[in-house]
Amino acid sequence: MTQARAITLNALSLYGVALVLAAAYAAQFILHELPCPLCLLQRILFAALAVGPILNIRFGPRPSHYAMSLLAAVAGTVASTRQVLLHIMPGDAGYGSALLGYHYYTWAPIGFIAAIVLLAAILLFDRQFEEDKAVLPATGGAFAQTAVWLVIALTAANVVTTLLECGFGACADNPVVYELLKRTA
Amino acid sequence: MEFTILFLATALVMLIAWRGQRPLALGLFGAVLIACVATYLHHATDTLKLSF
Repeated sequence: MTQARAITLNALSLYGVALVLAAAYAAQFILHELPCPLCLLQRILFAALAVGPILNIRFGPRPSHYAMSLLAAVAGTVASTRQVLLHIMPGDAGYGSALLGYHYYTWAPIGFIAAIVLLAAILLFDRQFEEDKAVLPATGGAFAQTAVWLVIALTAANVVTTLLECGFGACADNPVVYELLKRTA
Repeated sequence: MEFTILFLATALVMLIAWRGQRPLALGLFGAVLIACVATYLHHATDTLKLSF
């Protein structure tokens, strides 16, 4: 796999992260389901997955960049598996609504484990780490740049919505209202 | 509040990875990841009614 192809795949992975963050927002704004603290932590770790690909696009693919995403994916798997286990007892209705039969926190470990497998798979291709003779755009081209800014924008938007939801104190275990909007209403 | 700070820190790491220096991005990423694990462990040891 050439360096250019690896960068394209990294840009695609950023669109994947953006899709996950957008799906979480869809549940929040369309279904009016506010994310619980553990849900927010999983969102943060999905966003953290994007740092490795951003570095790969900017500086070229390096094993250390993939390792960063692997660490974030492992942490995300642990957090999301814990939430699955919290709701595993028979009779537990779970938290929030289901998407295609699974709750969002059940999709989360599937997503994180898929990320681990894909990261391991892309690490198999050594040629991407060699100096490439092809002249690459300094920032990967418009496709990659759009992906980077999309993920950054979604993460920045989460700063605002999380502040509105949790306010300046601890986040509620089962949030139903935006703390800051409640106080100003 | 800690989740807002973690989102903010993650967004900053992304911006530094995209526009700033690579070693700084790597270091800050490590700090954010440690903070995430610490937040998880802090909540995981609490007795909470839901979610954690």
